[in-house]
Amino acid sequence: MALIEIRNLTKTFGSGPAAVTALDDVSLDIEAGEIFGVIGLSGAGKSTLVRCINLLERPSSGSVVVSGADMTRLSARELREARRNIGMIFQGFNLLMQRTALENVRFPLELSHVPKAEADERARSLLRTVGLEGREGAYPSQLSGGMKQRVAIARALAPNPKVLLCDEATSALDPKTTESILELLKELNRSLGVTVVVITHEMRVVERICSRVAIIAESRIAEEGSVEEVFLHPRTEAAKRLVLPSRSGKLEGFSESEGAGSIDECRGELIRLAFDGSTTDRPVIADMILSCGAPVSIVYADTRSIEGRLYGHTVLQLPGDADTAEKMKRWLRDQQISFTKEAQ
Amino acid sequence: MDWEQILPLVPQALWESFYMVAATTFFAYVIGLPLGLILVVTAKDGIHPMRTFNMVLGAVVNFLRSVPFILLLFFLNPFTRLVMGTTVGSVATIVPLTISAFPFVARMVESSAKEVDRGVIEASLSMGASNWQIITKVLLPEAKPGLINGAALSATTILGYSAMASINGGGGLGAIAINYGHYRSDYAVEFVMIVVIVLFVQVIQELGTRGSRLSDRRIK
Repeated sequence: MALIEIRNLTKTFGSGPAAVTALDDVSLDIEAGEIFGVIGLSGAGKSTLVRCINLLERPSSGSVVVSGADMTRLSARELREARRNIGMIFQGFNLLMQRTALENVRFPLELSHVPKAEADERARSLLRTVGLEGREGAYPSQLSGGMKQRVAIARALAPNPKVLLCDEATSALDPKTTESILELLKELNRSLGVTVVVITHEMRVVERICSRVAIIAESRIAEEGSVEEVFLHPRTEAAKRLVLPSRSGKLEGFSESEGAGSIDECRGELIRLAFDGSTTDRPVIADMILSCGAPVSIVYADTRSIEGRLYGHTVLQLPGDADTAEKMKRWLRDQQISFTKEAQ
Repeated sequence: MDWEQILPLVPQALWESFYMVAATTFFAYVIGLPLGLILVVTAKDGIHPMRTFNMVLGAVVNFLRSVPFILLLFFLNPFTRLVMGTTVGSVATIVPLTISAFPFVARMVESSAKEVDRGVIEASLSMGASNWQIITKVLLPEAKPGLINGAALSATTILGYSAMASINGGGGLGAIAINYGHYRSDYAVEFVMIVVIVLFVQVIQELGTRGSRLSDRRIK
């Protein structure tokens, strides 16, 4: 049984003709110990989805089962107990501004009447875990965004929850800080075994830490699967729009006059290479050019190296000469690099 | 102008004004603080929405706020006599003062508590806080700077009302201004008492501003 089982979840706001459906018949399983991503454009319903998990938002219909308990059927008291098993962090950190870092982390323990000495001890050790030793007495206004989110993470983890929900937790942070927070979440997932649910509109967040992902579009789950599967071989239009940003209409930054047009040889077909981590990080395209003896034009590229392996997409325009183009495709197949023909 | 007659009365009047304001502020908060919190908690976007109740309570508070103090003062005389045995004197004046001040205090508390970030309340709910815990551990402590400012503003308003009450037999600084200044057409006395009252207001206001700033951890 999955740790979180969402079944036929529907959420409508308002009623009558003005009613807005935020979630429409959503079903999802999130397994214990994984880092699960939910990605979608703003307004797609992803935030509502995560808020339905701890019932900050009450579903209109359907069920949300966390550790075997149907959240929608709990009494007010039981719900408060169940929520202590589900930590949550937010885009805006939501720290208590009149409390120090230590007092913030202690807060959920106070709520469940943990003796003060014990709570202080735990709060101290958690602040150490998130790398804020020495800042126990600082107020949120004295901390940077990244530090505030670290305090929020420590606070969310204080009651030792099974699940940590992250609602756009890095969206207010700069790229470098985002990276460090994601690293911390990954580390906590590894060391504490806490299941992490990440809600985001940023691809790089999912790529960086998630093992599985669901793409949510227009209030429905468009696609769900392992991150590699969904990102490299998106099946639905919604997924393609998110994963392949240049896909809609013309390729961005590409035009006959200024793009490939300046190199006469490169007037052939467009192909999209997908790197799924099975290729080591090496100059693939340069190798291909050298071994085939003809230039190609890079129309679009979004690749990155993670732990020495290559991930992402590159769109190439092959030479107009059919033989050379064929030679290049053969070379790619030999190298076991998957590619698809790209619409021009 | 008979300063030898008036000056010795000032310390006593100052003391009377002080305890009228202090006692009224205290009683107005005993009633107004819970009332203001109830208004926030039962509001549409509150942690325990109760639409009809909130509307009725809001209407009652607005009604009481709308009654001009000078009229309320006279109107409440029978009630004040019933409670205190008399309508005359600074102690008796605490009754109408409190009744006119608590709706003001309730709105004051409401506006401070509403300033607490909705996200922080949500985070607390997500941690399993009960409504009572949200009130005592989130709303009140987080709104503290605003509440202190509001208390100072309430106290200065009450001081103003207390001067008005001397027309109905109340004591304090306002009574000297009216009885020895206004009724005797002695502008010098009236002016001096006005200055004393203005200084008193400044002191309360300054204490409030400083207390609020010192207690606020957002700006350091």
